[in-house]
Amino acid sequence: MPQPTDLLQGTLDLLILRTLALEPMHGWGIAQRIQQASQNVFQIGQGSLYPALHRLEYKGWIEADWRASENNRKAKYYALTRTGRKQLEAEIQSWDRLAGAVTLVLDRG
Amino acid sequence: MFNEFLTRLGFFATGRSHTEVDEEMRFHLERQTEANIRAGMSMEEARRQAGIAFGGVERTREQCREERPGYWIETLAQDVRYAVRGFRRNPTFSLTVVLTLMLGMGSTTAVFSVVDRILFRSLPYGDSSRLVSVGLIAPIEPQEFMLGGSYYEWQDHQEPFSALTSEIGTEPCDVTESNPVRLDCGRVEGNFLPTLGVSPVIGRNFTENEDRPNGPRAALISYGLWRSRFHLEPGVIGKSMRIDGNSTEIVGVLPKGFEMPRLQSADVLLPEALDVAAQRRADPGHPMWAFARLKPGVSVEQAKAELEPLFAYSLRLAPAPFRKEVHLQVRSLRDRQVHDVRLAAWILLGLVMAVLLISCANVASLLLARGASRERESAVRLALGASRMRLARQALTESFTLSAAGGVAGCLLAMLLLRVFIAMAPDGMPFLNKARIDPRILAFAFATSLLCAVFFGLLPGMRKASTEALTGRTRTTLRHAMLRRWLVIAQMAVSMVLLAGGALLAHSFWNIERQSLGMNAENIVTAAISLGQTSYPTQESQMAFFQRLERNLRYGPGITAFAISDSLPPGGFHRDSVYASLRVEGRPALASGTGGTVAWRWVTPEYFRALQIPMVQGQGFTDEEISSSDRFVVLSQSLAGRVFPGENPLGQHLHLAGGALAENNPSYTVVGVAADVKNGGLAGGEEPEYYRLRRQRAQDWDRSSVLILKTTLPPGATERWIRSQVASLDPTLPVDIKLLSERVDKMADRPRFEMFLVGFFAFTGLVLAVIGLYGAISYFVAQRTQEIGIRMAVGASRADILRLVLANALRLIVPGVFLGLVLALALSRVLSSLLFDVGPHDPATFAGATGLLILVALLATLIPAGSATMVNPTVALRCD
Repeated sequence: MPQPTDLLQGTLDLLILRTLALEPMHGWGIAQRIQQASQNVFQIGQGSLYPALHRLEYKGWIEADWRASENNRKAKYYALTRTGRKQLEAEIQSWDRLAGAVTLVLDRG
Repeated sequence: MFNEFLTRLGFFATGRSHTEVDEEMRFHLERQTEANIRAGMSMEEARRQAGIAFGGVERTREQCREERPGYWIETLAQDVRYAVRGFRRNPTFSLTVVLTLMLGMGSTTAVFSVVDRILFRSLPYGDSSRLVSVGLIAPIEPQEFMLGGSYYEWQDHQEPFSALTSEIGTEPCDVTESNPVRLDCGRVEGNFLPTLGVSPVIGRNFTENEDRPNGPRAALISYGLWRSRFHLEPGVIGKSMRIDGNSTEIVGVLPKGFEMPRLQSADVLLPEALDVAAQRRADPGHPMWAFARLKPGVSVEQAKAELEPLFAYSLRLAPAPFRKEVHLQVRSLRDRQVHDVRLAAWILLGLVMAVLLISCANVASLLLARGASRERESAVRLALGASRMRLARQALTESFTLSAAGGVAGCLLAMLLLRVFIAMAPDGMPFLNKARIDPRILAFAFATSLLCAVFFGLLPGMRKASTEALTGRTRTTLRHAMLRRWLVIAQMAVSMVLLAGGALLAHSFWNIERQSLGMNAENIVTAAISLGQTSYPTQESQMAFFQRLERNLRYGPGITAFAISDSLPPGGFHRDSVYASLRVEGRPALASGTGGTVAWRWVTPEYFRALQIPMVQGQGFTDEEISSSDRFVVLSQSLAGRVFPGENPLGQHLHLAGGALAENNPSYTVVGVAADVKNGGLAGGEEPEYYRLRRQRAQDWDRSSVLILKTTLPPGATERWIRSQVASLDPTLPVDIKLLSERVDKMADRPRFEMFLVGFFAFTGLVLAVIGLYGAISYFVAQRTQEIGIRMAVGASRADILRLVLANALRLIVPGVFLGLVLALALSRVLSSLLFDVGPHDPATFAGATGLLILVALLATLIPAGSATMVNPTVALRCD
């Protein structure tokens, strides 16, 4: 298994938004999902996950409400707002541009 | 975007409870634990691993909190609370800083507001930077003027100006219709307003036709008159107004802020309507004042050079002996307006900068000392995990809070000071009464003090706090100690300069007040009367009025002497002539050049008795001479000595009108020599003077006169009585009644104002500098408590300790005073034109100021020095 990689600055927001685009989820679920989807490359430290969630919430990109979880425990579920959805598209685009550019440089080299 | 804002606002208002975050994290931990159990861990192990994976709960919670939009305000409030708590713990420190800032900012703002109005205000003309004042200067009139004989030649042939215009002065005039009123009427050339770049708010400028002799009578009225007399009705245009008996059409209204270029007040502008052809032939022609607009790209110097040929033409018209003393003057309109106030304004500015400097140095030095004494606290906080950023922010908050408090106090002081300035200012200071606190200036002063506070507040925090500081045994670094030393020395130096200046002006003022005026102004009531043009059109009617008034007043209650003159000593208006125009009968001319100016007055016989001016020779004028057809003159002692050196002037015959024809230049018999009286103002030079007798002949009288009454009654009673007597002759006549001593006192307004200002700043500077010195010495003592304890323990006496502290103080005082003396000696020459009877380097004054500063400085060091001798060695050595 490869070593977990440090997240690029600002990438965490993108990953969270992308994950929430599928369905509303609670914090733990988000962390698990990202970890699985990245095949364990990204292990989200909780210390950065929750501040990021709160930050996004304050920005109005995601919204939260308390509802019963799978095992009937009350949990805080986050969902994408309309602004969040737009923001996600914008971030994906800019990520594509960045990744494309990096690839170009690497290929040329 | 808007949504986002609303969301933020919502969170900002409601915040979020800690429990919610806790709940969320607890859920996370539980799920992780479950997952771990499913992966095969024991309950205990699963929980432990989940905890490890999660990391610091408290830290996460803290970070979540920091994401809150209102977080920075929360910490700011915390910092401010902390700062205020700190100030309350150490009120002397905070109060000193606030007071210092208040003095510095308050005086700076007030003075800048005043000076700004004088030096830098925008003139109410279009593109005023290109306006200049043009003319000739002569000993008799040091401010430039023009003469009709050459003005039109200049106007035709000048090159450097796009326009040249003139005004011929303002005079009182009467509106003679229902609701009569006395106004000031200015007479201006037709192109006056266009040249100044001013257009009437309604109506139009004069037409060419109106500016001709006997043209249609037209007037432009001031905005003030439009408001007070016509209630801002636009229909005023085309109305007619009787001015001095002539029906005059109002053709326009001047803009609100309009002022004459020489700043005379004018309610009405009338066309000059001079006969140009006659003026060209006349010698010297009508006196006038000329203003011009420079062509683009032409400088004042270029303009002056280009005018030289025209100036040469004007010189040819002047009498040969005068030519050498007449010069060409071209200067910006602003320069002409601020003329003699300019120096005072710059001095004021210099003073206030000095005070600002001292107060900034004080704040800096106080903050440095505080920073140094807090080194240990900072080190402890750093060690406990406060970030450097947080400490810096804390220091910043403190500085800001202090600056804000000082700023508010400074604003209040500025408003107060400005009121005092306006109340004290002499009449000659233009615009002072219009000075307002300028928000820009306030902002500037505020920013300056803020910058100073912030810079010196942060400086100590910027340094790497050494772990050594934790022990509390380290000394402040040498660098700061040096900086503080120099700050105190600089303060002492600046304060020395201020004190020297203040002492010089005080000395000068003392001389002015103490000097002998050559007359006795006690119990003299004066009444200035100017008769109207329409009611008293001829000199006969004017003489008749004053003679009737004299009959009614002369033997009134308590009147012991009564005289009528046209002017009053010791200053202000009086008639002038040049020495060269005097000629002793049967002798050659007295002087080759102009010989300088000679003052003269029209007086009635009792003038000398009323003012107690002693007759040195002869008996002066007598009542018989009043009805004589011969003419008589009394000379002042200095004039008699100059015209008749070593001779008896009595009975000599004198011509007063220069080279004029014999029939226009009658001979005067000298009947007395009076002692010299001050006549050039309180601080001005004395001119030789002669007095002409006002006889019972109309030619000796004109419309303006001053009555001089020596009275034994209280002045109030005399004033009422004069008013009633004047009113019985002409109820509409305005009378200006004042005690002569009041008029004299008013002349001292200007030097008093100057002395007060410099004295105020000298005092402020002294107080601030002494506070600075006191602070430095107390700090020195506090830092060395241990050392002093050790010295005492090994046998130093109290006198030794006192000597130690005093020596340290002297190391600050002596270089400061020395530096200040050098500076003051170099700078005091600036004051020389304001000084009366005292040199700018007067040794006694300088010695006094130096002595005072050293004395006060030593007194300020005695308090901390005294407390140093009280140090108890055992206590001092035990403290950490």
